[in-house]
Amino acid sequence: MLAIWIGKLALWTLRLLGRKGTSLPGQLALRLNPRILEALGRQLTSCIVVTGTNGKTTTTALLAAVLRVRGPVVVNTDGANLQQGLVSALLVHTDWFGRLRTKTALFEVDEATLPRVAAVLPIRWVVVTNLFRDQLDRYGELDLALAKIRDGLQQTDAGLVWNADDPLVCRLGAETRRQGKPQVSFGLHPDHLQPPWRDLVRDGAFCLACGNRLQYDGFFYGQLGVYRCCHCGFARPDPDVVGRLESASLIVQSRHWPSPAAHGNRLAADPAGAGTFADQASIALPVRGLYNAYNALAAISLLAELGFQPDEIQAGWASFQPPLGRMQVFATRPTSVLNLVKNPAGCDSVLRAILAEPGDKVLCVAINDQAADGRDVSWLWDADFELVADLGGVARCVTTGMRAEDMALRLKYAGYPPGHIECVPDLAAGVAQALAAGWSLGGLSVYVLATYTALHPVAQLLAERVVADADPTQAAVHRASVS
Amino acid sequence: MPTPRRRLFIAHLYPDLLNLYADRGNIQTLRRRCEWRGIEVEVAAVSLTDELQLGDYHLVLLGGGSDREQEIVAEALRRRRAEWRAAVNDGLPVLAVCGGYQLLGSYYQLRDGRQVEGLGLLDLVTQAGPTRLIGNIAIDSPEAGRIVGFENHSGRTRHHHQPLGRVIAGHGNNGEDGWEGVRYLNVFGTYIHGPLLPKNPRLADLLLHTALRYAGLPDHLDPLDDRLEWAAHEAFVARRIES
Ligand SMILES: [Zn+2]
Repeated sequence: MLAIWIGKLALWTLRLLGRKGTSLPGQLALRLNPRILEALGRQLTSCIVVTGTNGKTTTTALLAAVLRVRGPVVVNTDGANLQQGLVSALLVHTDWFGRLRTKTALFEVDEATLPRVAAVLPIRWVVVTNLFRDQLDRYGELDLALAKIRDGLQQTDAGLVWNADDPLVCRLGAETRRQGKPQVSFGLHPDHLQPPWRDLVRDGAFCLACGNRLQYDGFFYGQLGVYRCCHCGFARPDPDVVGRLESASLIVQSRHWPSPAAHGNRLAADPAGAGTFADQASIALPVRGLYNAYNALAAISLLAELGFQPDEIQAGWASFQPPLGRMQVFATRPTSVLNLVKNPAGCDSVLRAILAEPGDKVLCVAINDQAADGRDVSWLWDADFELVADLGGVARCVTTGMRAEDMALRLKYAGYPPGHIECVPDLAAGVAQALAAGWSLGGLSVYVLATYTALHPVAQLLAERVVADADPTQAAVHRASVS
Repeated sequence: MPTPRRRLFIAHLYPDLLNLYADRGNIQTLRRRCEWRGIEVEVAAVSLTDELQLGDYHLVLLGGGSDREQEIVAEALRRRRAEWRAAVNDGLPVLAVCGGYQLLGSYYQLRDGRQVEGLGLLDLVTQAGPTRLIGNIAIDSPEAGRIVGFENHSGRTRHHHQPLGRVIAGHGNNGEDGWEGVRYLNVFGTYIHGPLLPKNPRLADLLLHTALRYAGLPDHLDPLDDRLEWAAHEAFVARRIES
């Protein structure tokens, strides 16, 4: 009980200080009572877990927005996905007698944390977004992340919602099916396939069953794509839920949403996908970029399984706010957009999304190498920063953070002109420099990429610079008239 | 006198299997530092199914992978052992990093005691240790000065050749004897990645020098504007090694 009191006190104190307390209260409570997660988790009736390398936070936020329509849910936010984050979230819903008032939980859980919490939570569903190379100095190797999730799954009877486009995750799906547990796979429509034209890292490019190289018809991003092994027959299955991005909407085909037409004439459905699904729904997305369409698809797959209808999902997402650092827009002068980057695949998808935005822009990359970022910055060289040089439209690059120089070097060797790179290690000075550059170039938007420990400070710096009635187009016009 | 046309052929071995630690950074560094000097360069990404002709290249790069991937490569490499030995004794420049470095030796002993046989080019053995040796590293190399980067390996390597350098900070070959990497003829083996070459331009140019000489081409290298490279090198030393 003392642990709960201390944890709750910490929560209240942090709130009084205007802080969120996503981690510290849980950390204190765990120190006093290492079994507190069990004590609180036991009081839950059901729990949903989202894990995987990329997209956990956004997928969790998308799920939460819809689940909350039906009632309160315990949710850990802002990527606080270790044990202390889970406990902190539970403490918010616990009274001073140690009673949990909310009985359902939705947790984003770090891959390595999953096996340590799986046994003490009543997990009904686990969503696995994808498995990319991430922070190798923390887990050793990729296979280990897969092993951790497998270990976690085996401690529960949970159903699995899994990404069929990822050959690593596909192994988990196949195992879950063999064990007779419920499972739902999701995948993008082949319309989105890209030929493998860039020399990118493909973490899962080898068959986990027999070790031979996988053949790809094409890629969605990273190692996600339509794959098969010619030696043992391992192949991407037809996903249960298929999504196709059409401007800002996701066209979803799910067995749970048969349209009236499909009831009467099932054969009219066209699974090859010429664009005429009989049982499809169109859902407007509150998030931008193909990688976010994946997150939405993962969320939709589970929500459909839980009995939600497309209009309920749509309603839940109507007032959705993207989580911290996911294409988060700040009304600074000029406008800035903040994105978290943590590994090559995620960074590539963010770069593509940014470079697809109209107009010239300033890029600001904030790289730290604290434990939570990964102390090894090798991954910067696996990320496709060549895109910045090749696709054009980036008028200036400002690199900042503890590894600003490494990032500057990365851009130079990517073929970006060194004369347009400014290296400013101090975060505050770096952010100021990027905004100043955007301003002096005529009000160009500033796109900021930041690693985990740089994200919060940068968000704070940008928030401080938000101007009451900033209008970037006005700023640009004003500037043009002066010069 | 006009400079004769110079053209280097570089083989990047099995990038789909051995690319755990951003070997792309090493490739990009070699490629750009040639281009900036008007040296033509072709980098061939050689995969397991390709027929590898060592004689076609002036520099060969071998990176690291996970245990599973490294075993697949070890098996493929062993089939061409005689060819490798001849090429290396003939002076073929080789840069082998992490797992690639281990593969040059006689064997790599896994934690379960099983030995994965390597190329056997060097009198070098590696044993999996109880912990991973992880962290920032700096070494002093007699040929290339201070070399900085990151290491992450569970293997403990021991050999009787010249090391690449002496450890100033970090673990090196085995965390015990204070040595890092290996130098043998034109073979450079090391645990340092991060990647290795961008922040260590002297080492990058030493490799290019070696490759040009092996190719029988004029080996002078015009100086480059390396201010960013040295800024990154020095900042790393100041913030990650000395503090
Ligand atoms: Zn296979």
